[in-house]
Amino acid sequence: MSAVTAVRLSNPRRGEEAPAISPQRFRVVTTRAQRKARPRVFYAVVTMSVIFGIIVAQLLLSVAVSSGAYEISGLQAQNRELDRTHQSVSQDLDRLASPQNLAANAEALGMVSNNTPVYLRLSDGAVLGSPVAASSDAGVTGGGTLVANALLANVPLVTTVAAAAAASASTQPGVPAAEAAASVPAPVVPTGPVPLQNGLPGVSTH
Amino acid sequence: MNSKQTRRRTLASMLLIVIFVAIFVVKLVDIQIIQAAAFNEESMGKRSIPATIFSQRGTIVDANGVILADSVMRYNVTISPKNTKDFLRVTDRADVTITPQQAAVEIGGVTGQKPEDILKIVADALAANPESDFAYLVKGVDVDKFRALNALGIPWLYSEPAPGRSYPNGSVAGNLIGYVGQDGAAQAGVELTSDACLAGINGEEIYQRGADGVRIPGSTITSVSAQNGSSIKLTIDADLQWYAQQVLAKQVDATGAKWGTVVVQEVKTGKLLAVADYPTVDPNNIDGTAEANRGSLAFMAPFEPGSTIKALTAASLLDAGLADPTSQVYAPYSIEFPNGAKVHDAASHGVLQLTLTGVLEQSSNVGITQLGEALSAEKRYDYLSKFGFGSTTAVGFQAESSGILHPWQEWDNQTFYNTMFGQGLSTTAIQVASAYQALGNHGVHLPVQLVEGCISADGTMTPTPMPEPTQVVSDAAATTTVNMLENFVTKGWIAPYISIPGYRIAAKTGTAEQSDGSGSYSTNYVVSNAALIPANDPQYVVTVTIASPQSNGSMASPPVLRAVMAQVLKKYRVEPSPDASPDLPIRF
Repeated sequence: MSAVTAVRLSNPRRGEEAPAISPQRFRVVTTRAQRKARPRVFYAVVTMSVIFGIIVAQLLLSVAVSSGAYEISGLQAQNRELDRTHQSVSQDLDRLASPQNLAANAEALGMVSNNTPVYLRLSDGAVLGSPVAASSDAGVTGGGTLVANALLANVPLVTTVAAAAAASASTQPGVPAAEAAASVPAPVVPTGPVPLQNGLPGVSTH
Repeated sequence: MNSKQTRRRTLASMLLIVIFVAIFVVKLVDIQIIQAAAFNEESMGKRSIPATIFSQRGTIVDANGVILADSVMRYNVTISPKNTKDFLRVTDRADVTITPQQAAVEIGGVTGQKPEDILKIVADALAANPESDFAYLVKGVDVDKFRALNALGIPWLYSEPAPGRSYPNGSVAGNLIGYVGQDGAAQAGVELTSDACLAGINGEEIYQRGADGVRIPGSTITSVSAQNGSSIKLTIDADLQWYAQQVLAKQVDATGAKWGTVVVQEVKTGKLLAVADYPTVDPNNIDGTAEANRGSLAFMAPFEPGSTIKALTAASLLDAGLADPTSQVYAPYSIEFPNGAKVHDAASHGVLQLTLTGVLEQSSNVGITQLGEALSAEKRYDYLSKFGFGSTTAVGFQAESSGILHPWQEWDNQTFYNTMFGQGLSTTAIQVASAYQALGNHGVHLPVQLVEGCISADGTMTPTPMPEPTQVVSDAAATTTVNMLENFVTKGWIAPYISIPGYRIAAKTGTAEQSDGSGSYSTNYVVSNAALIPANDPQYVVTVTIASPQSNGSMASPPVLRAVMAQVLKKYRVEPSPDASPDLPIRF
């Protein structure tokens, strides 16, 4: 049953027309108690923005973590490359330090060994033993190294490298001297102590 | 509508809902609980990879810390035969299509293989299995080549890491260190006998990766971490070892001999400072040496030692009180003993009037047998055993020979005399050196030591356990024998060849016939020398052994002995002897 609304009936004694009242003009008006109980917009906005913020933060963090994973991957690759360089260079160093290489280079540079040990006693300058001069053809290896080292297969002697650098430098005068010198230190024949100019170098103090 | 119908409809729909929920619950329980493990594993298997964390095999260092064997990362180059096609290479100028043939030429330029061989590997793999995705191209490539191959940028080429071994000093001490096979398993020498110390244990970690190969953060599970091996320290000095090898090789080649060894041992500690062999192996290039020469001849090749044993016979006589340096004997060139044994000297001569010192100076077989028969076979066998003959040394080298010393009960009449001058028994070069070590060390025989100990990652050294020293002959007997041997150097034929001015040297030579394997002696002989330096207070034993020299005969080994002795004296800064060698009478 529809609710009975208060309708202003026409008053026949006064002879008025009944006023035309449409149902839309009727509103449900809330009571104060009902108004108090309604949730505030403010709190809804806060909650939603917090949730949104959490979602965004999570997204950003996972982006950061993932990019961190890529950075780790990149650094690990770099680490591996450096490790390989270190190994390659260490291997070069070890093979150059092998006795075969040192002896062959020493002989190529003209060193000789003396197999007669003689001692000089510093306290009184006495010579213990009978000194015998080394023969100029004694060499260090006595004619070619016979102790094999497969790792030295492609390692040239110092003198070979120096000769090649000198040859290439003389045939190509345009090649900058620094390049040839950087590839191998050519054996320098010392001509005596280098004379000092302007005294010993010192620090100028105030 | 009446309420009964309504209620029935409600009930029916509720029932349907309950049924569907039940089905879902059952399925859920099945997936999440019952089959959870299997599904987890399957999904992990699709995403996760077990990666081996390679451990490092321990290094082998010499007495001064010089690295003789090192662990390096090598790479096995593999190809995917089914993907071996043309590929596009992007260069600065234009994009170039590289055919497999061109790629093979480029690869061959780096690895040293022929392009035809590379393509043959691909063809063989495809012939065996048209879907083949894996074939080895070359194994054990080093870092520089690996990088060069990577730089080529060939998509169907992939290199996997494989730990390997590098021997930076090549064949220096190669006979002792041994080598490691392709798969990293030790095969010879110290690498094999000390494998328990050297070997590391690989670790493993499992992680999940994304489609582009990057590790998914938070997904690494390290199952097992790698344990690196500990390093082995040898008593060998690499520089002295190199020198001995060089000098020995030169002389063996020059005299056309079959093989040679040089042993340098410290008298007061029993440590081996150099054990040089020729021919010897370079562990970097095992195939370059015949298989018979890949071990250590000094440990593995026994020979009849010859006259170097005379000094030990003399020491035994002195210790038993049956002779002294001036004991006299008439020594003809040849003699026949009552029991039928015949002994003769190396070179024809008249009857010599020799003292015991003279017997050693002349290296007279006739002299030593006449003096030596005073000592019973049992006692002489006892002395020889105590000097170390007939048993392996404390080193425990791989396939070490114990030599042959027959029990004295089995000695026939000839062997009874032959063993006095070093025939009728066989020894290794190490055993001879060790016996002379006892002579130089006041008669105390120390165990032979090659491996100093095992050094763990934190630096703690576990020394090799060694047996106790034994007194073989008395101090007086040993010292007197050394003095007698000095007279061999000062008065014998060898004087100009091995004297080093300022130092007293005690030495003995030996030229021994070798058995031909069927009961008699062949024309092969082994020349050996043993020396104690400096004789006033022996610190080093040096022995040189050269087998079957074609030229120079007994003169093959003295130059090597002198060179190595001089090097030892120089290297270890041995003080010159304060006085001259004692002068013992050699004739009467």
